[in-house]
Amino acid sequence: MGFNETDAANAAKAELRMQQALATSHVERDDYIDTTAAEPLTKKDINHMAWRSLALQASFNYERMQAGGWLYTILPALRKIHKNPEDLKNSAQMHMEFINVHPFDVTFLSGLVLAMEQSKEKISTIRAVKVALMGPLGGIGDAMFWLTWLPICAGIGAALALEGSLFGPIVFLLLFNALHFGLRFGLAHYGYRAGLGAISALKANTRKISHAASIVGMTVIGALVASYVRLSTPLEIHAGKAEIALQADVLDKLMPNLLPLVFTFLMFALMKKGYSPVKLIGVTVLFGLAGKFFGFL
Amino acid sequence: MLFEALLIALLAGVAGVDLFDGLTHMHRPVVIGPLVGLILGDVQTGLLVGGTLELVWMGMVPLAGAQPPNVVIGGIIGTAFAILTKAEPTVAIGVAVPFSIAVQGCITVLFTVFSPMMHKCDEMVKQGNWRGIEWVNYLGMITLFAFYFVVAFLPIYFGAEAAGAAVQKAPEWVLDGLSVAGGMMPAIGFALLMKIMLKTNYIAYFIMGFVAVTYLKLPILAVALGAFAIAMADYFNQNRAQPQAARNVEVEDGI
Repeated sequence: MGFNETDAANAAKAELRMQQALATSHVERDDYIDTTAAEPLTKKDINHMAWRSLALQASFNYERMQAGGWLYTILPALRKIHKNPEDLKNSAQMHMEFINVHPFDVTFLSGLVLAMEQSKEKISTIRAVKVALMGPLGGIGDAMFWLTWLPICAGIGAALALEGSLFGPIVFLLLFNALHFGLRFGLAHYGYRAGLGAISALKANTRKISHAASIVGMTVIGALVASYVRLSTPLEIHAGKAEIALQADVLDKLMPNLLPLVFTFLMFALMKKGYSPVKLIGVTVLFGLAGKFFGFL
Repeated sequence: MLFEALLIALLAGVAGVDLFDGLTHMHRPVVIGPLVGLILGDVQTGLLVGGTLELVWMGMVPLAGAQPPNVVIGGIIGTAFAILTKAEPTVAIGVAVPFSIAVQGCITVLFTVFSPMMHKCDEMVKQGNWRGIEWVNYLGMITLFAFYFVVAFLPIYFGAEAAGAAVQKAPEWVLDGLSVAGGMMPAIGFALLMKIMLKTNYIAYFIMGFVAVTYLKLPILAVALGAFAIAMADYFNQNRAQPQAARNVEVEDGI
């Protein structure tokens, strides 16, 4: 479970775990005994579920990942839906199977699943929806929250903090959580209302949403590299009587921020070769120490 | 010092839980830094160190369940160290990173140890013990809290002064070297993001962002808003173009 594993390796692992989880499933029957649709859930029920989703990773583990927190999230609603105790146990057993979804957009899936539970779909159908949506929701969540929204908010917050302003942390928290909680609660209601109809809409839009998020994300990263990576050299070239400062007279005239850009792409290239971030941090520390010791930094 | 160390440990416990549950992101260095500063009586340094550490951790996010070097302990130890020893923020990074890597390893162990609990949950489901299921989750959060509490308390209570003495004896090139390395460190976070996102068709946007800051000196928010506008235009243009593309595919399939 290192941080340097490729996406493909991670995806393959997740798939293997999913297969194992399904193979060892304890679900006894596929149909519910009581197949009459339950009373619709209220807005309050859905909000309760969204609050509980904050604990999705409370019992996180490498065997079933978020399974315990997932059941915790939907448990009160499940108990309201399934009046027959055998049905409730059967449903809960299926929901204890492996699940790994993004912790921010999870409520879309739990809203959707509750809509299906409420209309007493077959357990295998509900499970299939869970499995089918885990990946896309994870991809959208990663692209939107970890790779776009967090860098934007953190970039703004850090810039203010580095100027010594207390607004840094405050603006960061307000900005980040406005979207976070807005989406968490919004998606819970949207997922429940949309029910099965939403699945095709989501599948059609996954690629486009990720694409738009990637455009904003990559632009911001380009801007952050220029703003925050600091690297320059005090070296001087002696050519006869003339002294040329390498940084001011050569590099800055070529292009400002050239060294930070080159260093970032060097790190990028090494990472693609399979170097872990931890190893690169170590190498950077050694490089900084050597640079000061020999005087080229 | 005991009182301050206990307060910081408490903060670490709350932030450690927030990293996995709650996710309000009060656990990020930009927030933790000034809070640790407040406890130790130097908010200003806390802001500076927190802001600096935030940039280092920007790309280190938990993708596909993998654990990056622990941001909570990194932020807390880094800030506390910088304030207690009056070191430069960039030096603090060099001290914070080893701690955060060690904690990352511990978290991996914790998640492994928690796996057998799932079989307990299976039994509870069979018995209809719903309270039990809920308590397994509360127990998980309590364990996390306790773990972070101890991990933050020990080095700050016992280690900060020893670390401070060592820093004062260290030769100048070591501290300057760490400082230079700290300035370069954000590149690793950005490279990590690029490894995940950078496909050929996105290089243009990277260049655009870089140029906007290097030559036009625009602030980050302005660049982000500009990019958002472009993404919006792109999204709606795609919507318009799609029906035609879909038809072409159908024709090819038909033949």
